[in-house]
Amino acid sequence: MRIESLSIKSATKAIFSMIALVAVVLSLSAGFYFRQSALDAQMNSLSRVIEVAAQEMLKQIRTNAFELGMKLGHSQKIVEAARTTVETGQKETLIALLDDPFITGFASFSDINLVKLRVFNLDMEYIAESSQGAQGIGEQLPPYLQSIISNRDKKDRLKAIDALWLSAERPLFSAVVLLGGLRPEGYLEVVIDPVLNLPDISKITQTPVSIFSMAGEQINTVPDHSEDEYLPVEYVLYTSDGLPAFRIVGLEDVANLSMEMKRTQVITITGFLLLSLATLLFALWLFNRFMLSPLSSMAGNMIAMARGELGLSINDKGLSEFHVLADSFNAMANQVRMRTNDLERILDLDESAIICFDQDQEVVFFNKAAKLLFGYSNDEFRDLGMIELFVDDVSSLVSNVESTDSNKVNKLHTLILCKHMDGHEFQCTGDINTIDVLEQSGQAIALNPVTDGEQPQSAKNEQRLEAVEQSISGLLKFAKENPSLMLGLDNIADLSVAGVESATEKAVIREKAVSVMSLALACWERELGKSKLDLAEESRIWPVYIDKSTPTTRTLDKYLNLEICPKNPRSKRVVDTAEFVLRRAENKNSRAREALRIELVAFRQLVSGVKSQILKPS
Amino acid sequence: MNIFKSFPLFFLMLSVFLLLSVSINSPADEKPIAPESIEGVNIVTAEEAIDLILADPGMPIIDSRKKTEYVKGHIEGAVNISNIEMTSDVLQKVAPEKNNAILFYCNGVHCLRSSDAIHKALSWGYSNIVWLRGGWQEWKEKQLPVLAI
Repeated sequence: MRIESLSIKSATKAIFSMIALVAVVLSLSAGFYFRQSALDAQMNSLSRVIEVAAQEMLKQIRTNAFELGMKLGHSQKIVEAARTTVETGQKETLIALLDDPFITGFASFSDINLVKLRVFNLDMEYIAESSQGAQGIGEQLPPYLQSIISNRDKKDRLKAIDALWLSAERPLFSAVVLLGGLRPEGYLEVVIDPVLNLPDISKITQTPVSIFSMAGEQINTVPDHSEDEYLPVEYVLYTSDGLPAFRIVGLEDVANLSMEMKRTQVITITGFLLLSLATLLFALWLFNRFMLSPLSSMAGNMIAMARGELGLSINDKGLSEFHVLADSFNAMANQVRMRTNDLERILDLDESAIICFDQDQEVVFFNKAAKLLFGYSNDEFRDLGMIELFVDDVSSLVSNVESTDSNKVNKLHTLILCKHMDGHEFQCTGDINTIDVLEQSGQAIALNPVTDGEQPQSAKNEQRLEAVEQSISGLLKFAKENPSLMLGLDNIADLSVAGVESATEKAVIREKAVSVMSLALACWERELGKSKLDLAEESRIWPVYIDKSTPTTRTLDKYLNLEICPKNPRSKRVVDTAEFVLRRAENKNSRAREALRIELVAFRQLVSGVKSQILKPS
Repeated sequence: MNIFKSFPLFFLMLSVFLLLSVSINSPADEKPIAPESIEGVNIVTAEEAIDLILADPGMPIIDSRKKTEYVKGHIEGAVNISNIEMTSDVLQKVAPEKNNAILFYCNGVHCLRSSDAIHKALSWGYSNIVWLRGGWQEWKEKQLPVLAI
């Protein structure tokens, strides 16, 4: 489908629908994004909480290890045993002393998991270790601690130091204190397994915490939990030298948060959608009120004006551009109206009687002078043909001239014997021009009555006809489009239809028209007992003429006789007459009335069929 | 209406109000701070204190804290004499030579015990006083050797 084929209204609706769709999508996306952001914020927050809790847990280990180390480091027995070991190489006493805390316990026994006690000399060389506790840790200080102590000056070496480090098997925590206090004999390393203390993170954060080794092995057990209610938040605890030691997964209870977020999401999305919808509806109303409706009204008015209703004016209600458009179009229509009036006035003011006939020699235009000359009213004139107006056979005259003088094929100046409405005959000088009547050949005749002492105005009439020929041509075209606007050119509408009918169709319509009229008259006379003259007078559809003091219905008579019926009968008159009779004979259910009704239906279908064919675009 | 009869009551209420206002605005929860310096006293850090201890192993070290705090942990070689219990005679027994160096400490900068004890010692004629103003808090934070009983 091409976009150009859409109307502004459809395009506007489509655009607003797209905006509404985008608003819905954006609302949902924003809702999801906000929810995700809230969860991310919650996760970051919990991650920091776990970090703090992990550091607090290490601090507790550090405190306990430091206290144990200080106590053992100041033990004279251990100091002397270490000195003896260094001097004699005998380790048994020292090992026994180092094993003692494992066997007899110590103050913070239940708070830390002591896995080894090791003794080093001041050069950090291994001396001995407890036989109790973990095995295979090695015989040297953790490299990280060794490096730091090596870089310290003598005074700083008095300070204890600790670190979380990776042994060959697992992460361990070591606190190194001086053996011998301020007068050191060596170093005592207290090695702790931090796994015992890791669950303290859960106590501190007050959330279930799963702890995994970096190999993926789960160290502790957590109660079963719903995936929807708990949000897993991961934190990696690193050793002092930056290696990952434990993976801690905190399970944040987000049931309340989720419920709150869902509620907020629903409220936000609903509010946003309602707001968007209200705004869209308001915008649509504004568009409709100030653009689409004025545009539709303007389009309707323009179409009506183009059809000839020049009395209309374009509605200028709407936005400022509509005022400009409406004013411009109204000005244009006004000019057309003035021009048309001028043309009509020119023809009407002419002294000569000007009459135009179509190809079927029926009147399609006449001016006021023609009405005065022949004595007919407007309605009567429209039903006339050449035969009723002229005694002479004008068409024969033209034909003769055309056959003899090819140079003057379009113009003929002659005397014509005319027939007045009251029956008397009079002579006129006539200038006959062959003109184009809606793409068919017709005649325009300018008539001037011959009076005594006055010369025929041949040259003058010829000039007039030439001058008005263009006007007539223009008027005819205008009248074709605007049949209701110009009284004198009323026949053109029928002519325009008739002009494109085939000869067969014309004949069928004529026959049908005569048939309807005959049935109507028969019904009128039989059912109502009235005469043809009564029908003409009461219906006011047909003119009644006075011929030598006798009323006649010449026009009506034509429609009752196929031979003299106009070649383009007025279908509206026929229909109006039939309907008039049917109305009058409404209470009669006679065969004649029924026959008339059926024939009228058939005639209507015939006429409408012909017209619809004509109205179809070629 | 007898205004004069109700005046004592009004005065009482006003006084209570003023006292409450003062108590609300006063920094009741602020901890006391030991003086930045004491005239004639050498203030040292933990590291400088170690230097002195290692240079003079016989230097008296006075722990001015309470007994319970001392038991939990103290500097190696320190003697527990709280500022309240410290008399000229008691100090004389620990530091007979008034011109020799003597180290005082308590819990830290928020503790006024050691400064009080120092003022006493100064009044008794001790002239070479060294003050670990950061006290036990600084010592512990630097993870220096401590002794518990």
